[in-house]
Amino acid sequence: MNLQNLSIKRKLMLITMLTSSIALVLSSPGFLTYDLISFRHSLSQDLVTQAEIIGYNSAAAMAFKDESAATATLSALTAKEDIVGAVLYSPDGTMFAHYSRNSKPLPALLPDYAHGPGYRFVGGYLEVFHDVNLNGERLGTLFLQSDMRQWSDRARQYTTIIFVFVFASGFFALLVSSKLQKFISRPILRLEDTMRMVSVNKNYEVRAIKFYDDEIGRLIDGFNTMLSEIQQRDMALQRANDELKARTGELEGEIIHRRQTQEELLKAKHVAEDASRAKSTFLANMSHELRTPLNAIIGYSEMLEEETQDSGNLENVRDLQKIQIAGKHLLSLINDVLDLSKIEAGKMGIHLELFDISMMIEEMVATLQPALAKNSNTIQVHLADGIGVMRADITKVRQILFNLMSNACKFTDHGTVSVDVDRTAVDDQNWIRFRIGDTGIGITPKQQENLFKEFAQADVSIARKYGGTGLGLAISHRFVQLMKGHISVQSEPGRGSTFTVYLPAQVTIEPAELRYPEEPEEVSAESCEIKPDLDTILIIDDDAVVRDLMSRFLIKLGFHVVAAENGEEGLRLARQVHPLVITLDVIMPECDGWSVLHKLKADPELAEIPVIMVTVVDNEAMGFDLGASSYLVKPIDRDRLAVLIEKHRVARSSTVLKPVHERS
Amino acid sequence: MRSRRLIIVIMICFGWILGANAQALDSSDSSEYLIKAGFIYNFAQLVEWPPSTFAQPDSPIVIGILGSDPFGTTIDRIVENKKVRGRAFVIKRLKWGMDLKDCDILFVSSSEAARMDELIRSVKGMPILTIGETPSFARRGGVINLVLEDNKVRFEVNVDAAKQAGLNISSRLLALARIIPPSSADARKPE
Repeated sequence: MNLQNLSIKRKLMLITMLTSSIALVLSSPGFLTYDLISFRHSLSQDLVTQAEIIGYNSAAAMAFKDESAATATLSALTAKEDIVGAVLYSPDGTMFAHYSRNSKPLPALLPDYAHGPGYRFVGGYLEVFHDVNLNGERLGTLFLQSDMRQWSDRARQYTTIIFVFVFASGFFALLVSSKLQKFISRPILRLEDTMRMVSVNKNYEVRAIKFYDDEIGRLIDGFNTMLSEIQQRDMALQRANDELKARTGELEGEIIHRRQTQEELLKAKHVAEDASRAKSTFLANMSHELRTPLNAIIGYSEMLEEETQDSGNLENVRDLQKIQIAGKHLLSLINDVLDLSKIEAGKMGIHLELFDISMMIEEMVATLQPALAKNSNTIQVHLADGIGVMRADITKVRQILFNLMSNACKFTDHGTVSVDVDRTAVDDQNWIRFRIGDTGIGITPKQQENLFKEFAQADVSIARKYGGTGLGLAISHRFVQLMKGHISVQSEPGRGSTFTVYLPAQVTIEPAELRYPEEPEEVSAESCEIKPDLDTILIIDDDAVVRDLMSRFLIKLGFHVVAAENGEEGLRLARQVHPLVITLDVIMPECDGWSVLHKLKADPELAEIPVIMVTVVDNEAMGFDLGASSYLVKPIDRDRLAVLIEKHRVARSSTVLKPVHERS
Repeated sequence: MRSRRLIIVIMICFGWILGANAQALDSSDSSEYLIKAGFIYNFAQLVEWPPSTFAQPDSPIVIGILGSDPFGTTIDRIVENKKVRGRAFVIKRLKWGMDLKDCDILFVSSSEAARMDELIRSVKGMPILTIGETPSFARRGGVINLVLEDNKVRFEVNVDAAKQAGLNISSRLLALARIIPPSSADARKPE
């Protein structure tokens, strides 16, 4: 049994008992020793007195050498039980008379250590030496020996008494402490009971009973305070829990509701996506379906016009020209609608390249000559000195400027169209400023409000009079925005208008929008007129009309033409004839244009041959990714095709002088 | 250890026997009177005289020896330089007819046995401690009589005589003495 794990009750009793017993046990030997020492002292004093009396009584007998009288005197000691021996020694130290209890042997001569009178304790005996005197004269020595019987009896008795007292007091201490310990143990035991009740039953409503206002009483108070605190918190927790459950229920309901909504939304989204996809497909199909016949109309009318002109039937030439113009207008209309839908769908990509501004303007002016001539306008081009290069999407810049310039031509009669280009710095950034001015009809402030909005021409009548879709400025505006530029107009009705376009000298866009740049066009339109050497061009297209038109056109330009109606045949012919250039359609049955392009570029023998994509699919990026040299969208701009082919021809004939894919 | 103790005991016993023999041998002459002289000295210590006996507090105790002196110089040597209650001793050797009243102690030699009664009568009422060595001395009115018993010196005391002489004899002395009853002192027996 471990003493430390005894109950408080037992501990208190034990402590009380042990304390009292230890106090008694420790103190009693002190008392005992003191008593025994003083008792021994009084014993010795008694014996000395005894010796004095006997010495006095035996002095005369000593003096008269009366041995029997002396012996008789000593015999009186029989009454003293503790005295075991008495001897009278003559002055010479010999035994004169003696008395011995129990015939104990006694020293016959005066012991050496008895140098003088006094007492000493020797071997458990008290011995007294006393001089026997008669009138101051020493007659001998009396020797008394006591076994201190009283002393040892007393010591024995005392020890017994102490033992009895220790046990008795221990017993009484036990009795008293067993009664008194309740003052301390009872509240603690009751507190323990209460605590057990609380911890087992989780019943926080019980309270410990307070007995006295002592430390334990305060402990109980503290415990009760804690209990009520816990009870309150328990209740609060319960309430919070209930509330939480209710809330959770609500939330679950809400979640179910939301999930339903989400599913509905998802369904709606799928429907919308399907619709969007259908719209895109429809648009792509429409553009393809519209362009293919247009291709034929424009191509054949051009051909017919040329042939008719050769035969001198001028009346028919004019009709054919009208067909051509109408077709081209329709084409531009379709292109504008497609551009706008692409912009709105956020699918309009930008590919940046560095190009020479003056060269671009020059080229545009050349292209614009027929439009200028139509209304007898003159053009004034002014480029700032050292205008140099800019980095932008050249196609879009060209389109912006072309829109503005063709508008200027359209709305001006017998006037002047001016083009000013210079550099300015605004907000620590370099800008290229294009100003296209005219002396035409001008735009009213009211018209200016909707100028850059889609499908908003200044006046319905204008559309009838001047033609156009009303999308040109809207598209230009969007393109400027795409390149983080700015477009504005200043106009006075009747006096003319000036459009100002600000574009950053270095257009920056998100990397995702980057596209491969087009080949710089170094060959001017005029060079088309130079009769080329006979070289072979391979046309791969499933459309017989396209093959026919392109063949006739290219043969006219002096090229040798080979045509294939599918990808497999195209590849075979390419290996066979090793053409100067390959034109490639995308949408073809069986093997489409992308896989043909991939195979061409994968074949080391054919990889060097430039491929011009000629297609209705508007995906320049894909074409450049796969290694196409140029990208033309149907219907074919014959002039542009001529320029591109001529460029490749020149490049091929002078491969030693300059690389084919040089980029400015 | 034990053997040594035994030897001591034997030696003591031997010495005791030798001593007893010596005492027995000398009893006839000087050794007997050596003891008797010591007894006389002891008597002086245990007897008190009436205060009027001595003129001065340091007046000596006069010991008179009447008749033929049996002590020689023995008694002189014993009492020499000794004092009892501040008093020294003076020895006087007396002849019959000389004044006895200056004596405090009177030793009556056996030579005076014939004139004993007369002598006793002459000192009657005087504070004199009379000591004799004649067998009937005490019975006849002497205070102390020395006798030989079994070769040992013993003494008899006539308490009445002591009272008549005004002497106070210590009870310790009486305890050792053979007391002569007063009745026997009066009834004189013929020798």
